[in-house]
Parts: sequence; structure tokens; C-alpha cells
Amino acid sequence: MDGGPESRARAAGRERRLLSGLAGRRRGPLARHLLLLPTGVWTAIFFLGPLVLLGLYSFGRENLITLNVSLNWTLGNYQELGNPIYRSTLLRSLELSAETTIACAILGFPLAYLISRCRGRLQWLLLGAVIVPFWTSFLVRTYSWVNILQTFGPLDSLARGLGLTRSHINLLYTPTAVGIGIVYSYLPLMILPIYVALERVDDGLLEAAADLGAGGFRAFLRVVLPLGTPGLIAGMIIVGVPAAGEFVIPEILGGGKTLMIGNIVANQFLEVSNYPFGAALAMSLMVVLMIAVFSLRRIQSRLQI
Amino acid sequence: MPETTKEGVTRGGRVLSRRRLLLEGAGAAAGFAVLGPAIEGCGAASKSTSGGSSSGTAVMENYPNWMGSNVVQQFERQHPHARIKQVSTAPTSESAIVPLLKSGTYDFGLGDTTVGGQAKEIGILQPVDLARIPNIKYVSDYFRKNFPYGIPTDYGKVGIGYRPDLIKEKITSWHDLWRLAPKFSGKIVFIDLDRDSMGSALKYLGYSTNTHDPAQLQACKKALLKIKPHLQAFLGTNVGRGLIDGSTLIAMDWDFDVALNKQKQPKIEWVNPSEGMTAYLEGWMAVKGTKYLPLIEEFMNFALAPKQYGSFVNTTGSAYVEPAARQYIQKALATSPIIAPDPAVLRLVEYETYLGNALPMWESTWQEIKA
Repeated sequence: MDGGPESRARAAGRERRLLSGLAGRRRGPLARHLLLLPTGVWTAIFFLGPLVLLGLYSFGRENLITLNVSLNWTLGNYQELGNPIYRSTLLRSLELSAETTIACAILGFPLAYLISRCRGRLQWLLLGAVIVPFWTSFLVRTYSWVNILQTFGPLDSLARGLGLTRSHINLLYTPTAVGIGIVYSYLPLMILPIYVALERVDDGLLEAAADLGAGGFRAFLRVVLPLGTPGLIAGMIIVGVPAAGEFVIPEILGGGKTLMIGNIVANQFLEVSNYPFGAALAMSLMVVLMIAVFSLRRIQSRLQI
Repeated sequence: MPETTKEGVTRGGRVLSRRRLLLEGAGAAAGFAVLGPAIEGCGAASKSTSGGSSSGTAVMENYPNWMGSNVVQQFERQHPHARIKQVSTAPTSESAIVPLLKSGTYDFGLGDTTVGGQAKEIGILQPVDLARIPNIKYVSDYFRKNFPYGIPTDYGKVGIGYRPDLIKEKITSWHDLWRLAPKFSGKIVFIDLDRDSMGSALKYLGYSTNTHDPAQLQACKKALLKIKPHLQAFLGTNVGRGLIDGSTLIAMDWDFDVALNKQKQPKIEWVNPSEGMTAYLEGWMAVKGTKYLPLIEEFMNFALAPKQYGSFVNTTGSAYVEPAARQYIQKALATSPIIAPDPAVLRLVEYETYLGNALPMWESTWQEIKA
């Protein structure tokens, strides 16, 4: 049906509005990118910039007497990493990181599952119990373990009071104390991403599994665990990466008898003032951790989760 | 490692209880109210003798709370155009102070003889004119001679604290400590600082605490690795705290820390090991290029006035270098045989000096010991 001039004018107006809208949409991404600019600039200056600087420093040399750094593109700092002390320290740190990450996963997954199945006020209460300790200083929380684990401390008194042991328990300044400290500090970082993943699991799926004859444990293995795996992998990355470079907890609870790679990095920057070697150590640790992170991401992709 | 813990303010393991700090702060405040005019008079005298310009803001690198109560405030009150801005950087070791002084941020700072030696060698030290610091006369010649970088403020020895009531043996030497280590395995702590632990091991072996000899350092490493399995911990803070409840029986420790713990547990005993002791001597030094040298010198002079210096000792609990201030120092500190020893004890002391080219060798040896 052919419209009159009025109808054609209306159609032309609609077309203009449509084109105008499309143009607006085309400008949209640009506006959004502009909004990202402050974050990008911030990241470039305060994240990428220092990283590049760290990389450059790692090829430099420092005169430990004058404290002057010269960038002479030497691989000497990286060659020095071949020293058995640094190799064994790196391995020890990775081993500790793996052990504490696994411990956090074993403790964190059931807790996260429990929280995700609770509803209402109880769920908020449990989430609060996980999050509230973060409001206290990390150092204060770590130092509190000194009192708990030391001889004549509460743990020692409790064990003796219950008749579990006659001699005094002295866990302080042992590898066990370091493990306890790291697991305690990082456990919430494991629980929260698993909780987020499991919270989305539809109760109907568990009912369906039960209808199909799966018992509680089998339903957990076949339904809950696979659906919680994205959170588990995220938690492993969030816990494992900082745990590998941890140096405060080993220093306070380990009694300084065993060096971790984080201690050596901190030592190079804060005590020896050998920034180039400290930078080489930090870059090497970063590469090792990036390989671990990408491997986990690859597993995640293969599982299509 | 200077830091604030729940036990109190610590510096290099030197603990000041919060209660003590508060009490002393309150005491100093009350004292100031009563003695204000006298202190004003003292300051005025110092001003007239030192002369020169004393305006502007001088930035000082300092340990947390390592200053007499109200000393800065009183100085600033007398010099309305002058300001001393203290920046507490909490370095983990003395060697970390040199880069701070080199950074150009500070006009003067606190450091020990190792810092002074390195600062002098790399040309960042500004000599002060002692003629403009007449109160230096109150400092013992002995300490002035050993600290030629500025004004000495305090010192400390590394010896042994132990519980004779629990180990039932007498300790008089480093040899005794090494000998008893297997018997009291897991009940011994050492200081987590290379200069102090390695320095003491070198004394045990009969060497200088400032050795440059690789063979002696290897022997030192061997001695420390031999005793390491028996150590409870290497501690940088609260080193001798375990002596109080007996969870630690023997501690390589600083004199002031043992003196402090002895106030809580009188059964703790201090030993000046017969082989000798490594010791630090600290003081204030000006940084080359400062625009405020007259102000710094005037402040140094003010802080060395016996009353002000007494306040410094009462706040920090450190061993003192100014006998004239004794009347202003709390009796427990002034008469302590641990931190105010007989002069004969000082003959056993060897101060840590700047290691120069031997520094990397010391660093790597310490890492091999700790790894």
C-alpha cells in the first residue's frame, strides 16, 4: 500500500532515528573504552611500569659498596639462580605452596558446600565467620598463632589438660607451624570462590541424582564436585600463587631456620639492597607461577568449565 | 627488625613494652610540667653557644620511638622556625639504612658504625662541626673515638641470657653454649642478624668479629651449621622472651633485651662470654648535601644535654654513652650491671665495623647458614 506524503515523512523520520540510533551504538564502544582509560592508565603506570622496571633491573648489576646499579644486560643474576641454595629454596617454597593449597582445598570445599546449602541468616552468619577475620591485620592474626602454638600456650595447656600428652607440645618454630599459619590465612581465599560456584548449583540437580539412585557421596562426586571445579581452580590459583612467595608467615612462625624463596627476595631488596639479583629471583618465581596458572587454566578449558 | 607488635615497640629485637612507653611518656610529660623552666633554660644555653641559623625542616631517618619523650617538641618550642620531621622506616637491618640515606630524602639519620663506615666510603656523609655541639663533652671519649661519623647515642653487646635454675649448669663462655647445645637441643635461640650471630660465632672461634678472611668465615659457617639443628629459632624480635617462662633456656641476645626480661623474670642471668662480644655502636649522622646542617647540629647539641639524653635512655632502654646523664636515668637502668657494666667488660667488646669488599662474602655465607 502506497502511503501519502505524510506517511512517507513519518517513515523518513523513523529511518533517521534508526540511523541515528545505530550511529549512537557505534559510538557506544568508544565511550566505553574511554571509561576504561583511567583504569588502563593506572594499570600501566602502577602495574606494568614496575614490572618492566623489575625486568630491566634483573639484567643489571649492583655495586654493593656504592649501591649504584648499572644496566649492562648481564645474565649473571639468572646464572646465579643455578646455585643449589636457590634451587632447593625455590623447590621448598613450591612444595609448601602445593601442600598448603591442597590442604586449603580439602578443608575449603566441604565448608563452601555447607555454606552454599544453607539459607537465610545462617548462611550470612557462616559467610561472616569466613570474612570477618580479614578485618583484622594480617600481622596480628599471624602473631596470635605464636601465642597459641608456643610451649605453655593454650594448645599446649589444652592437650595436657585433656591428658593427650604428658610432655609439653612445642609446635612453634616448626614447619608444621608454618603450614598451619598459611592454611589459616589463605583458607577464606579458597572457600569464597568455591562457594560462589556451588551457590549456583540447582537443588533440582541433586534431587535428580537421588531419583536416579545416586547416594549422597556419589551425587557429591558426580554432580557437586564437577560443578564446583571452576571455583576450586580459581581458589587454587588465588591461594597457590601468593603462598609460593610467602615470607612473613615462615619468618614469624618458622623461626627463621628455613629459608623460603620469598625470604630471599625480601632479603635482597630490604637487607642486602641487591635489587638486580632480587629482581631476577622475583621474575623467575613469576615465570614458574605463570606456567602453573596457565596449566590450571588449560585444564579448566579442557573440562569446558 | 623494627616493628610494632602486641608486646610493644621493637627495634632490632629490642622490645619496649607499650605499658612502659606509656608510663614513661606520662612521666616525661609530668616531669616537663614541673621542670619546664629549667629545661627551657638548658635549651636557651645550648642555643646561645651553638649559634647559626636554625630554621627550616630537617628530615631524620630514625627507628620507631627511638627518641626521648618530648625532646623534639621541646626543641621545636625553643626554635619556632625549626622543625624535626622523623620518618620511621623500620629497616630490617643496618645495611638497609645506607640506601635510605643515599636516597636524598633525609638530612640526617640514625645508624651504627657499619652504616657510618659505608656512608663515609661512598661519600654521602656530611661531617658535623663538634665545636657547634658543645654538649658532646658529656659523651665518653671512648664512644666518641669509636663513632667518628657524628654523635654517638647508644650501644649494645651481644652476649648470653640463660636460666641457671633450669639448666643447673654455669655458663661463662661461648664454648659453654656450644658444648651444652646438644643437651638442651630445641631450647636455644640465636639472633637473626648476620653481624650478630656470625660475629658471636667468630668470637667463639677466637677471631675478629669483623673478619675479611674467607677461611675464618668458612669456620664460622661450620660452627653455626653444627649448632643449628639444636636451635629453636633464629629470632629478630623478642629474642629472649622464652627465657621468661622457660620455653627457652639459653639465648644469644642483646644486653638490653636480657635486662628487660630480667625485670619480669629475676632468675634470668646475663653472661659476658669470656672469649669476647660483638657489639653495635649507634649514633646520628648528617647526610651530605643537607641544607640544614646548622639546625641538625643544634638539635644534636640539644639532644645531648644530660636531661634530654636521660629521657632518650629512659624511653629506649638502651645502654648509655653519656655518664653525665646518669642522674636523669631510671635507677633500674642506670645501675644495671648488664647495660651499665664495669669498664673491664668493655674491654671484651669489639664493635662491628663496615665490612667493605667482604660484604658480599658475609651475605652469601649467612644465606648458606640460613638455607
